[in-house]
Amino acid sequence: MIARILAGTALAAVASQTALAAEDPGEAAFRATYKELVETNTTLSSGSCTLAAQRMGAHLKAAGFADDQIVYYATPEHPKEGGLVAILPGTSPKEKPILLLAHLDVVEAKRADWTRDPFTLIEEGGYFWARGTLDDKAMASVWVDTMARLKAGKVKLKRTLKLALTCGEETSGAFNGAQWLAANKRDLIDAEFALNEGGGGRTDGKALAEGGHIVAMSVQVGEKAAMDYRVETRNPGGHSSIPVKDNAIYELSDALLRLRDYDFPAELNDTTRAFFGKAGAVYGGTVGQAMQTVASAKPDSDGFKQAVALLDHDRSFHSTLRTTCVATMLSGGHATNALPQRAGAIVNCRIFPGHSFEEVRADLSKIFADPGVTVTTTEPDHPIAKAPPMDPQVIRPIEALTAKYFPGVPLVPTMSTGATDGIYLEAKGIPTYGVPGIWANPDLNGIHGLNEHLEVASLIKGRAFLYDLVLAYAK
Amino acid sequence: MISPLLLAAALTVAPAQPAPDPDEAAFRETYRTLVETDTTLAHGDCTLAAARMADVLRAAGFAEDRLIPYAAPDHPREGGLVAIWPGRSGKLKPLLLVAHIDVVEAKREDWPRDPFALSEQGGYFHARGAFDDKAQAAIYVDAMAHLARSHARPKRTVKLALTCGEETNGAFNGAQWLAANKRELIDAAFALNEGGGGRTDGKPLMAGGKVIAQTIQVGEKTFANFRLETRNRGGHSSAPRPDNAIYQLAHALDRIEGYSFPIEFTPTTHAYFQAVGTARGDGVGKAMVALAADPPNAVQTDKTALWQVDTDAFLHSNIRTTCVATMLDAGHAPNALPQRARATVNCRIFPGHSVDAIGHELERVIGDPEVGVTALPPLRPTPPPPPLDPAVLDPARRLVAKYWPGVALVPAMANGYTDATFLTAAGIPTYGVPGLWGDPDGNGVHGLDERIEVRSLLTGRRFLNDLIRAYAF
Repeated sequence: MIARILAGTALAAVASQTALAAEDPGEAAFRATYKELVETNTTLSSGSCTLAAQRMGAHLKAAGFADDQIVYYATPEHPKEGGLVAILPGTSPKEKPILLLAHLDVVEAKRADWTRDPFTLIEEGGYFWARGTLDDKAMASVWVDTMARLKAGKVKLKRTLKLALTCGEETSGAFNGAQWLAANKRDLIDAEFALNEGGGGRTDGKALAEGGHIVAMSVQVGEKAAMDYRVETRNPGGHSSIPVKDNAIYELSDALLRLRDYDFPAELNDTTRAFFGKAGAVYGGTVGQAMQTVASAKPDSDGFKQAVALLDHDRSFHSTLRTTCVATMLSGGHATNALPQRAGAIVNCRIFPGHSFEEVRADLSKIFADPGVTVTTTEPDHPIAKAPPMDPQVIRPIEALTAKYFPGVPLVPTMSTGATDGIYLEAKGIPTYGVPGIWANPDLNGIHGLNEHLEVASLIKGRAFLYDLVLAYAK
Repeated sequence: MISPLLLAAALTVAPAQPAPDPDEAAFRETYRTLVETDTTLAHGDCTLAAARMADVLRAAGFAEDRLIPYAAPDHPREGGLVAIWPGRSGKLKPLLLVAHIDVVEAKREDWPRDPFALSEQGGYFHARGAFDDKAQAAIYVDAMAHLARSHARPKRTVKLALTCGEETNGAFNGAQWLAANKRELIDAAFALNEGGGGRTDGKPLMAGGKVIAQTIQVGEKTFANFRLETRNRGGHSSAPRPDNAIYQLAHALDRIEGYSFPIEFTPTTHAYFQAVGTARGDGVGKAMVALAADPPNAVQTDKTALWQVDTDAFLHSNIRTTCVATMLDAGHAPNALPQRARATVNCRIFPGHSVDAIGHELERVIGDPEVGVTALPPLRPTPPPPPLDPAVLDPARRLVAKYWPGVALVPAMANGYTDATFLTAAGIPTYGVPGLWGDPDGNGVHGLDERIEVRSLLTGRRFLNDLIRAYAF
C-alpha cells in the first residue's frame, strides 16, 4: 500500500462526517470475511496468498458465482503466491469492463516486535488491530463483499465487473500477481480502467469516534516509481583482534550518513501542482500558503525555496516534492570475530516521474562520493510510472459520492509517493486510479510497521462508499 | 590458537643438530593418531581423541588412577583427559601442561587433500590440527609417556590437561570447566600452553631458512562482543522520516570508527616493545622504543612515535583495547523503514579492564542514549596478566639460546586469546611456550591446508621435553 498524502491540519466546520449509513444486514457477513482474510497470514516468509484466495473464492461461490466465473491462478514455482480473478458479467456488449484490484499479501510482521499477535484481528478502542487491517485487506475484503452482494442480490449491471486479487505487491523481486496477470492473462483482466488502493481520506489525527474529522479525501492519479538499489562495500577482512583502518562496515556507514544528509531537488508535475493548489486552499494558514506557493511560484524563486523548506517538515509533502532514497536494510560480516569482508544496504528510492532508474543510480553514486561503494539496481525492474489521464467519467462519480458521504471534505488528486500494482496495469494500457472512501490518520496507522490498525468506522463507511462507487460506474 | 608473535629482524642462526632418538617413531604414531581423530565440533569427537591418548599413556605405564578422563554429561563428545605423574617434592607445586585437542572445522571439498589424513609432503605435515594444537598436545602426551617409560622421579608433579572447546566460542570449553569444577585436579604453580613459538624468515629450514624469533606469551587480551541496537517506529519507505534506525546506528558506528582507546602497557608489552623495537632498528622500531621508554611523554609531546607504531596493525592493537564493527543486520523489508538496526562490535580488551567498563566507554563514545549497548554471552574473565617470573622465563631463555643460538626470547602479549584466560583467572599463571616454529604466512592455521614443518615438530618436541625437565626436575 502506498502512503496517503494529505497532511493533518484540522478543518473547521466539517459537519456530520460521522453519520453512518443505516444498519446494514450484510455487515456481519462482511466483518467475518474481513476477519478471515486478515487472519490468514499472507507474508512471503510464512504465509499463503493461495490459501487466502481460496477462502475469498469460497465466499464468492457461496454468493452464487459459477465455477467458471472464478479463476484461480498460481505458477508452479510459486505455489503459495496465487490469487484469483472473478467475473460478474454485465449486460452491455459495448461498454468495457471495470477491474477491481487489491493485493492479498502483507508486509512481514514479527510477533516478538508487536504488542499483539499480528495475525489475530482485535477490535479495541474503536480500531481494528492486525497486520493488513488497512493495507490492503480492507479494500480486498470490501471488493469481495461488493462482488458477493451484487451477485447474491442479482443486481443488473451494464458493465462487466472483474475482481483481481493478487499477491506480491509488498515484496520486491518475488512473484508479483498483477505483473503476472498483465503479462500472461491480459485478456482476463482487460478493462477500461481499474480501481485500486492508493487514494483515501486523512483525519486531523483523531479517530472520528473521538471527535476527529476527515480533512481531505484523495484520488490517486499517477505514482512514483520504486527501485531498491543495492549498495555494497568490500574489504579483504582479516582477524578482528587486529583491526585495520579500512573497514567495509564503516565505509558503508559513512556512505549512508551522506545519503541521510542529502535531499533531491524539489519538483512538480500536473498532478502534484493540482494537489498543492487545491489542498493548500483547504489548509489555510502558513502551511496552506506555502502549498499554494509551490503550486504557482517559479521553481528557482526564493518564495518557492522558502515554501519547500517549510513543507519539507511534513514527510508526506517532502516525499511528494521529490525523489527520495532511504536505507531500509543492512547486512554485513560473516563472523563476530572476523573483520567484515562485505557490507551491504538496500536503499529504497521513490522516483519522481520523469527520471530513470539509471539516472537515480548515478545520483546515488555521486552522493556517496566513494568509488569503493558500489550501487546496483535490483531485479525486477518495474516499469516507470506514467500518470493516467484525469478522466471525468472516473473522477466525477468520486466527487459526487465524496460530497454525499463526506460533505464539506475536499477531494484532491494526488500522486502517490509509493509504487502500487497500478504500474503494471498502466504499462499494459489499463489506467488505474486509487479510489477514496477508507480513511487513515496522519501517522499512517502503522502500515508496514508495528501495530497496524484501522478505525472501525473507516472500514464500515468505506465499504458503503466503495459499493456505491462501483454501482455508479457499472450500472 | 593465536598466531605466534612476529619479529621482523632476521638473524643468522644454525639449528642445533638433532641426536638420534629411539622414541621418535612412537611419537610420530601418537601424533598421527591424534591428528587423524576428527575433533571438530560439527562432527568430531574430543572424547575419543582423549581416550586414544589415554591408551598411549596406559601402554607407557600410567596407572589407571593417574588417568582421569572427563566429560560433562550434556557434552559427551567434548571430553578430555587429565594425567598426573607424581613428583618427589612435598613443597614444590605441580607443573601443568595444557593443550587443546579440538580443531577448527575443515571441509574436504575446500581442501586439496583429506584434512583428517596426515600426509608428509615436501618436508611438511599437512592436516587440520597438524599445528594447532595437536602438535603441542602430541608432544605433551609423548613427554608424559616418556616420564612413565623411564620411571622418572621429578621434583615437581607433572600434570597434563587435554581440553576441548578452545576453538569454539560459546560451546563447551574444557579448560573453563576444569577451572570451575576440578580446580584441585589441575592445581599448579604455573601452566605451559600454546601461544608462544618461533617464526622463520619465510623459508623452511630444510630449504635453508632460519628461525628468526622465539616468543613466550605472557598474558593476552580478552574479548567481548557487544550488540549495538537502535529501534524506530518504522513505517512506509515512500515517506522517509528524519529519524531512522539505520542512520542512527551508522552514526554510532561512525563514532566508534573515530575513537581510539588510550594506549597502555603491561610489563610484558613493555619488554616486548623494547626488545623488538631495538632489534628492528627501523623507524617503527625506534618509535616502539620511544613509546616504551616514556609512554605519556611520547604520546603527548611527540605524537609521531605513536603514529608510527600505529601504522603496524598488530602493534596498534597490542597497546590498547580495540573495538571494531564486524556484523550488521537491519530492517525487515526493502520497502519499509527499518524498525531495528543492529551491529556486532568485537572488542579486544587490554588486561586490567572489565567487560562492563568497556561497555560503558562505548556508550560514552557513542553519546546517544537511544543506542543500546549490550555485552553478548559468553562473557569471558578478564584476569591480569601472569608475572614475568624469572623462574619461568630464565629456563626458557637458556634453552632458546641453546637450540637457536643468537635468537632472543621475547615475552609477548597476544592480541587474540587462548584458554590461558580461564586458567590465569583461576590463579594458575599460564605461559605460551616457545619451541615450535611457523612460517610468516601463518601455516594455514584456522584456514586451508594447515601444515607444520616436520623439523619444527621434531625439534620442538626435543625443546619442550628439555623445558619440562628444566622446570620439573
